[in-house]
Amino acid sequence: MNQISYQLKQAWAGLCVKKGFLVTIVTTLGITLGALLCILTLAYVMILKPLPYPEQEDLYQVNSAVIDSERGRLGAAFEYPILIKLFDDQTVFSQSALVRYESGVVSSLPSQPTVKSTFVTPGWFELLDINMAMGRTFEETENKDTHNPVAILSYHSWQNDFGGDSSILEQTLTLGGTNFRIVGVVADSFIEPELNGSGVKTDIFLPWDFNAYGMNPRSREGYGNFSFDQRFIGKLDSTLSIPQVEETLTTPLNLLWRENVHTFDGFENWTIRMELQPFKETVLGDSQNTVLLLLAGVVGLILIACTNITNLFMSRTADQQRELAIQAAVGANKRHIFRTLFAQSGLVVSMSMAVALIISTVGFWILQQYLALRLPRVEELAINGVTLGAALFITLLLGFTFARISASMINYRALNSTLQSSGKGTGIQVSPTVRRWLIISQVSIVTILVFVNIGLLKDSLKIINQPIGFETDNLSALTLEINSADSLSEEETKQLLRELQNKLIALPQVEDVTRGTAPLDTGIAIIQGPEATQERSSLPTRFVDEKYFQVLGQPLLEGDSFSEADVNDQNNLMIVNDVYAESLVTHGGIEEGSVIGTTMLVASNPYTIIGIVQGVKKPTEKEVPMKAYLIAEANDTQFVIKLKPNQTLDRDLTVSIAQEVSRQFFVSKLETLNDQSDELLFTQYTTAITSAVLALLTFFLAAIGLYGILSYATQMRRFELGTRLAIGAKRFDVVRLIVKDNAISVGIGFVISIIALLGLFIGYSEALNDYINSQLIPVFFVTLALISVMVLFACYWPVRPIINSSPIRSLRNSD
Amino acid sequence: MSKIKIQMKNITKVFETEDMETHALKNVNLTISSGDYVSISGPSGCGKSTLLSLMGLLDMPSSGEYIIEGVDVANLSLDEAAEVRNSKIGFIFQSFNLIDEISVFDNVALPLRYNKEDVSASEIERRVNKCLEMVSMTHRSQHKPNQLSGGQQQRIAIARALVSEPAILLVDEATGNLDSNTGDQIMDMLDKLNQNGTTICMVTHESRYADRATTQLRLLDGEILTVPPSKQSSKAQEEAAVN
Repeated sequence: MNQISYQLKQAWAGLCVKKGFLVTIVTTLGITLGALLCILTLAYVMILKPLPYPEQEDLYQVNSAVIDSERGRLGAAFEYPILIKLFDDQTVFSQSALVRYESGVVSSLPSQPTVKSTFVTPGWFELLDINMAMGRTFEETENKDTHNPVAILSYHSWQNDFGGDSSILEQTLTLGGTNFRIVGVVADSFIEPELNGSGVKTDIFLPWDFNAYGMNPRSREGYGNFSFDQRFIGKLDSTLSIPQVEETLTTPLNLLWRENVHTFDGFENWTIRMELQPFKETVLGDSQNTVLLLLAGVVGLILIACTNITNLFMSRTADQQRELAIQAAVGANKRHIFRTLFAQSGLVVSMSMAVALIISTVGFWILQQYLALRLPRVEELAINGVTLGAALFITLLLGFTFARISASMINYRALNSTLQSSGKGTGIQVSPTVRRWLIISQVSIVTILVFVNIGLLKDSLKIINQPIGFETDNLSALTLEINSADSLSEEETKQLLRELQNKLIALPQVEDVTRGTAPLDTGIAIIQGPEATQERSSLPTRFVDEKYFQVLGQPLLEGDSFSEADVNDQNNLMIVNDVYAESLVTHGGIEEGSVIGTTMLVASNPYTIIGIVQGVKKPTEKEVPMKAYLIAEANDTQFVIKLKPNQTLDRDLTVSIAQEVSRQFFVSKLETLNDQSDELLFTQYTTAITSAVLALLTFFLAAIGLYGILSYATQMRRFELGTRLAIGAKRFDVVRLIVKDNAISVGIGFVISIIALLGLFIGYSEALNDYINSQLIPVFFVTLALISVMVLFACYWPVRPIINSSPIRSLRNSD
Repeated sequence: MSKIKIQMKNITKVFETEDMETHALKNVNLTISSGDYVSISGPSGCGKSTLLSLMGLLDMPSSGEYIIEGVDVANLSLDEAAEVRNSKIGFIFQSFNLIDEISVFDNVALPLRYNKEDVSASEIERRVNKCLEMVSMTHRSQHKPNQLSGGQQQRIAIARALVSEPAILLVDEATGNLDSNTGDQIMDMLDKLNQNGTTICMVTHESRYADRATTQLRLLDGEILTVPPSKQSSKAQEEAAVN
């Protein structure tokens, strides 16, 4: 123990003298290990850690896959009656729950907030073993078909929307015109499975019966409407295999569905199939790939950092040769020398790890703040046993490795001769071969990382900057919610909505208002096709009024737009975008030039195409999708508002105008299209920032590393360079010599990186298909150019003091 | 009359640190003519290596005038000084200063590679072989320096110093790292070179080697103290100004 304490004290004293060495390593290793611990913990939470629900491995989500006999699996979404039938009749799950995600305005609160409401059956609380902060969960009397209006608040909503009112139980809240009695508040510790998207959390849980489909007899009982927002969750308690369970569930449900849709236009070749998806897979989605990608990036950084630090440790050992020789002279054996080196490396790595733990905590916070909407389970991130275990293991591994590498440089027998030559010898040196390999590894790793990151950055910037067919500036999307819609007749609603539209137009900051689904909102898809042919497809369809294209600045290419009379009369007219028009000609059997005037069947009703507009797309869509536009219904509550330049429209003002027009009108959403665009592009922005930071960090670390290696190499060659200068070499000759000597190592590094990248592309060609294109070639050359410049700098800078001073200095210092 | 090769007028060299100034050379005046054989001796720290560095343009004087073959070289840029070193000065160092990674042939050829005139490969070969022949080392041309003895290495260094046919050979303790027998052989070689017309200026602390020179300078505390007239060449007697 005394020996360890002594060696640590000696190591600390030695490190205090070399503050630059200490600070460089602790900073470099602290940052990179911090990133590694952060991503390792994320990977553990997302990939290995069980979900925090009892018997989570038995939980499954049942997906209703829609299969076209010709085109294969089209996607997965439930028809409401099929979902209900599954819930009522299944026998393979011991516990089950229905879940549907919606949003609505709590009109009983003064601020009328729009909340995320989740409609569930009582099984939801049992399956997830949800604890309550107060009150109770839903009971059997609040199960499906009981129509018992009660509500449970999330802890977050209770605190934020209801001010943490301790007497909240038995109070009522009004949502969608229904008064719900609050019976419970979920505990703060409950981690909700984010089935409706990462970071999307429920504010209020309501009984299943009150969901929008359940409240509407037509959608409750009708077929032909798929919805992605409703789920079936169950705990499997069966001796049957998964395929057997799927078959058991599919047969009767598909039969029932086919019976009800066989007459529908476009459904002829479709069947449905029940698929079981493990609950964990449902929660995680495809985010594992993101984590693995992040992990690969961080491991690359660690490799660069470790290469740098290896070089620093080797240089440090070379510096220490006299001290080590004295230790050997007074009786230290090889083991003692190793312990001395291990004490130093262990101390430095431990200090770096302490910094890394702090950095990883900051990393958790950043992930929770900025990536909660993209990565599931980030709220569970914290320093845990796995983090600490990994930290301990990495500390020991790196400490030992650095000490081992340093020790391998020492020729124990030669240590004595170091003293005999009055300390002038160079018994310990980083060999040229080792230096070459350090350069090769640095160059190959940095080339791969910088190339991949520049590629990702370029890809993200391309998506961010690509035109989408219209300008989002000054446009806002407004969605109203009408409570107790039944109390207003269609004509009254129509009049009131017109009045609201006029009042909004009258605002000084507003230029115009149009009715219709905002172009960046999720619309609906409707099966349609030319009446004259059998071609049918499910196509995004927007409902708009006569001003829609003008307000959006979406040019009419051919034909006419809807007129005010068309909108008032709700005529069966259609406008298509140019992509759809072209498709109708190439695949739909319509003659060129005859698209206008074509009769289309939309859900079996005939519509006439009267115009073709230029297509628009969402920022994340690669190509402009085919799209059809129909006339908005009289009670359609979606608007697009065009503001005058540099004007804003706040929610409070909009709420007051809506309430002024009708007490039944509530603002469900008011969002600028720029915000919507930014939200859609969040992944691209995140990727762009992350890849740029990673590229810069990689570049920076590699520059430091290469500088360190070349600086050391130059110091070792100082005498030689002095001699060359003495016999007439000019400065340029010396720089050229250094560059030439390192060019082979750099070239080998480039070749290794090319082989590795080709291996990556060949091995993962399917996954990387979207990224591989001819534009990567210039990206690669840019990467090579950047790294070459960095290498040139790293070659020139250390030699600068030698070539810019009298040669005698180099000769004297070395001799 | 012999042609003047080197002329130093009032050369001073001051080394400055944060808290002190060291006058390594004080108003040194020196003239070396073609064919001279000059030795500079003196105790440790007297400034003899500094003087040789200045003469070889390895360092620049703090003040004074320095002329090589009629050209003022006291204020040359680093690259201009390199050119002069390459074409007019040959160095022989105490520790040989050969580059271990390259062959004997390439070591000797090195000054020609840095020559501003692009010397052809055949010319390089001819001149290197000629110099190796002069030092009787042709048979070792493909060896690496660290495969040779100290004496052999110094011979290679002499060949390298001669390959660019310099105006003057500057020799810094050429025998310092050699045993006396080998040292004598090296000195014999230098004597022979001088007899054949090579101008030599040599720093040594061994009087038996200093005595071989035709002109002996003694340095003490940065000043040239004595120049035994009997040993001076006729030209040196006329030109050398003793401070």
